[in-house]
Amino acid sequence: MSDDDSTTDATPTAGDISANTDPMASVPDSELLQVRDLDAGYGDLQILNGIDLDVGSGEYVTVVGPNGAGKSTVMKSVFGLTTYMGGTIELNGEAIHGLAPERIIHEGISYVPQNENVFSALTVQENLEMGAYILDEVPKDRLEHVYDRFPVLRERKTQKAGSMSGGQRQMVALGRALMLDPDLLLLDEPSAGLAPDLVQEMFDRIDRINDDGTAILMVEQNAKEALRRCDRGYVVAQGKNGYVDTGDRLLADEEVRQQFLGG
Amino acid sequence: MGIVKHTITNRPSTDALVVGFVAVVGGALLLDLLARFAAIEIPLLWGITFGGQTTLASFASLLWSGIVVGLIFGLAGIGLSMTYSILNFANFSHGDLLTTGAFTGWGAALLVAGWGLADVGYLLTVRAGSGPGPTEIGASIVSAPLAVAIGALVAASLTVAVALAIDRTVYKPMRDRGGIALLIASIGVALILRYVIQFIYGSRNRGITSTEGVRRDVLGVSVNLHDLTLVIIAVSLMVAMHLLLQRTKLGKAMRAMADNKDLALVTGIPTERVVQATWVLGAGLAGISGYLYVLERGTAEFNIGWFLLLFIFAAVILGGIGSIYGAIAGGLVIGLVHEVSLIWIPSDFNAAAAFAIMILVLLYRPEGIFAGVSTA
Repeated sequence: MSDDDSTTDATPTAGDISANTDPMASVPDSELLQVRDLDAGYGDLQILNGIDLDVGSGEYVTVVGPNGAGKSTVMKSVFGLTTYMGGTIELNGEAIHGLAPERIIHEGISYVPQNENVFSALTVQENLEMGAYILDEVPKDRLEHVYDRFPVLRERKTQKAGSMSGGQRQMVALGRALMLDPDLLLLDEPSAGLAPDLVQEMFDRIDRINDDGTAILMVEQNAKEALRRCDRGYVVAQGKNGYVDTGDRLLADEEVRQQFLGG
Repeated sequence: MGIVKHTITNRPSTDALVVGFVAVVGGALLLDLLARFAAIEIPLLWGITFGGQTTLASFASLLWSGIVVGLIFGLAGIGLSMTYSILNFANFSHGDLLTTGAFTGWGAALLVAGWGLADVGYLLTVRAGSGPGPTEIGASIVSAPLAVAIGALVAASLTVAVALAIDRTVYKPMRDRGGIALLIASIGVALILRYVIQFIYGSRNRGITSTEGVRRDVLGVSVNLHDLTLVIIAVSLMVAMHLLLQRTKLGKAMRAMADNKDLALVTGIPTERVVQATWVLGAGLAGISGYLYVLERGTAEFNIGWFLLLFIFAAVILGGIGSIYGAIAGGLVIGLVHEVSLIWIPSDFNAAAAFAIMILVLLYRPEGIFAGVSTA
């Protein structure tokens, strides 16, 4: 997506969007991930309070919201990294809530954490191999696919990931997560910590991964850009669903802009 | 591994002091050593002399024994370093795993070597009571190579079994409690292990190996075949560990987990299995180290591992904790200093020299020699 593909062509429909919009309203036909009334948190501390969220197969969904709203917790809960407290999470119609991450990765979900998301002491190639750990053998074609997607990684496959730049490390992290050819890729703040000129490149890469057919659920601090790129966006505040709509319409919504996007 | 965050600080004054001190003392010692080789002796104050008598042969033999003990420290240090980086705690019971290997292994070796010479209980408890002496049983690489080999395998496997049992009962239930809680628990485990060993095997220091015919001429050099066996086994195991960590899927997973446990978990690496593999490898090497240490030393008592632990820790910290290459390098440095310093200082103080060198190196490189090279 390029810069001229701006938000001006979206129809402003501010009045139509309100809190607790029916999440099914704009869900695509083929459902991949379905989260219903999810309560989750860490230990005794409950963060999420009845979250509903859907990702269709091949869809690009972002979750935005203020700091501390539980955006990342939504994503971690999908991957089994939080304390499950109630509700349902289904992937292709099968319940996955309460499963441990090492089980969930077998179901076709890969997760890229926000920080320290590469094995710094391992080489680039070893990082990618680890991404396919659950398979008996490293799938050669998949490795080639990742190298084609990120050619700089092929050039530097014997370099220690820890000695690479922030943008390259982010590619290693994406590549690692793509090694299993997941149906759904969870991205936690992929643009965090990147230099401004690298942020656009990062979003372009994510677009291409999505173009390959991988559904994406992304949490982003950079809400405007994320909403501009995605198919659908969720605004989460205080552990609850705030607004749900297409990214462009959320961007155009006066209330959303004022409350969450800084006007 | 165990990514040591490099804190970039300016310490020119410390560095200059350390380098200057090392240069002056090292230079003086080197001159003194050359004078000793030349048999020059110049009396200085208070009965201290510059130079003296040290033959090249005796210097070479000190170097050799430095390498031999250094390899023991290094081999044992690999396991300590791995538990530190993968399980996140300093395992104070590691030394007593060496003792476990020494006694279980030599029990098996004596049983094979002395079959028919004495009753099974006497042999299995490593000559706890009274009976035939070490020379009669003849447990040496010359007269009973098979017994020595079997003993090494038993040492490794029983130490692994003990370590896995301890992990299941003590460390696993408190896996998420943090390094300090685990460290304290490991001190308890060390005491339990040590006194169980003392209870079973007794507290007497006893001779174990036979040294008859062990000293041989190899390529014109007189070599103790037990030392040579130790060096060959230790170096082969170190090379094998290197290949395992760099080339195999399990080894890479171990390095990955040491590097970043949270990421290993979300990557689908079965962390519990990697932890068990760590115990198998670390404890196996510890058991063999203890067993080889007795092969070289000839005697054993229930607290040998505890006394070795301080040197092993010194080696691992010196090399950069978390790195197996650091453990090996640190072990060799500590071992060489420990032995070669005997030229200048009485044998009661040579351990202090080893620790002094450790402190000097850490002043210059606080993260250890291999910090940052970090591989499992």
